Amino acid sequence: MNQSLTLLELNRFVREVVKNNFPDTYWVRAETSDVRRNANGHCYLEFIEKDPVTQNIVARARGVIWANTFRLLESYFQSQTGTAFTSGMGVLVRVSVEFHEQYGYSLTVVDIDPSFTIGEMARNRMLVIRRLEEEGVLRLNKELPIPDVCNRIAVISSATAAGYGDFLHQLASNPFGLIFYTKLFPAAMQGENSEASIIAALEKIYENRDMFDAVAIIRGGGATSELNCFDSYPVATNCAQFPLPIVTGIGHERDVTVLDMVAHTSVKTPTAVAEFFIDHQAESLARITDLQQRLVSIARQAISRENSELALLSKDVYHHSIAFLSKQNSEIGNVVFMLRAYSQKQLDTLRQEHKERVVRFRNAVEHVIRSEKHRIENAEQYFEMVSPKNVLKRGYTITVQNGKIVTSATSLVENECIETIFSDGKATSEIKNIEKWKI
Amino acid sequence: MTYSQARKELEEIVRSIESGELDVDKLTEKVKHAGELIAFCKEKLTKADEDLQRMLDEIA
Repeated sequence: MNQSLTLLELNRFVREVVKNNFPDTYWVRAETSDVRRNANGHCYLEFIEKDPVTQNIVARARGVIWANTFRLLESYFQSQTGTAFTSGMGVLVRVSVEFHEQYGYSLTVVDIDPSFTIGEMARNRMLVIRRLEEEGVLRLNKELPIPDVCNRIAVISSATAAGYGDFLHQLASNPFGLIFYTKLFPAAMQGENSEASIIAALEKIYENRDMFDAVAIIRGGGATSELNCFDSYPVATNCAQFPLPIVTGIGHERDVTVLDMVAHTSVKTPTAVAEFFIDHQAESLARITDLQQRLVSIARQAISRENSELALLSKDVYHHSIAFLSKQNSEIGNVVFMLRAYSQKQLDTLRQEHKERVVRFRNAVEHVIRSEKHRIENAEQYFEMVSPKNVLKRGYTITVQNGKIVTSATSLVENECIETIFSDGKATSEIKNIEKWKI
Repeated sequence: MTYSQARKELEEIVRSIESGELDVDKLTEKVKHAGELIAFCKEKLTKADEDLQRMLDEIA
């Protein structure tokens, strides 16, 4: 081959062909990848196109945005889309097609249409949301109740973020004296790793889910806002199905991210997340305080009611007692009267009975006396009749020996003396003969 | 006892007292118990549990 070219000659040729055939700039739809910025402020990236079905990359081109262009485009893009210019975005860019002898094919970006990206993001969000909906998980986290005591909070944030500091400060300085317990699960909230890093933090919290009441995903204070990871399906599906309620405060001005849509509650800033928890706890505290006040007031009412009832009751008791007593008094009066009358009657009866008894007694006694008198008279007559004097008069005598009356012949001894007593004298005799009779 | 159980019981006590169906002896007893429940609930919301924070800090 005599007609050969050096590489440089070839590349120069290609460069000329490219330049001549692509004299204009062209609007190109592509996805960004590997976006990076160098120290001079130039932005280097890859534009790729994926097969919509297989997701395989079917086209690729290097791209560059020179610093002076990038400065303008970046802020314009961000203000329009609410997100930073970064990897993984669908973009519509106006490019000039370049070929450099040394660096090869590349596209130099001269303009960007943020509305396309907005549309792309919206479309992407729609797809993610539709998928979550189809899987029936979209509203799962929203349906979780926030417990009455919700003060153990797992925080997903960058440890150094100003927003994290604001969040902690806000919780600690709440005016109700509410107590909160927080645990940081650090995650990169932006950049290439943010998605994986947030999911890893969620997994860590899941392992310790019994120790927490809720999760706060916060972000704030960074210069750039990059929200792609908050629209990603893996982050969204993890959050939607998380067993603890998730409250987000990822500090962006754009309408909403998918994460905001699936989270239990979504507020703008980390401080607002803290306020949410404070409000919730303050409400719980207020409910207790309300119950306490109701209790105190009704207890007070009940006590004063009891007191007045007691006063009424004691008045009642007094009056009833008086009435009762006076009734009793008059009843007793009646009884006394009746008793007196009855006693009088009894007394009269007794008196009469006594009188009669006395008469009967006297009669009986007189009868006894009379009969006794009669008996005594008979006895006197009898005693008179049997008195020794009269007996002796009738011819009987009394025999006495040695001063003793002799009533039997057996005690007599012959030749001894005995005295015989008569009614009017006595005689002494000597016993001549003794004759004893058998009786 | 959990906070929710305590609050529920407390609400029931307040309701029963407000309905006026309790006599004065029961009332005294209930009010005393309610006071304990209130203290328990308030403590849960406002009193720092250092053990709990330590346990959270120890999660690796």
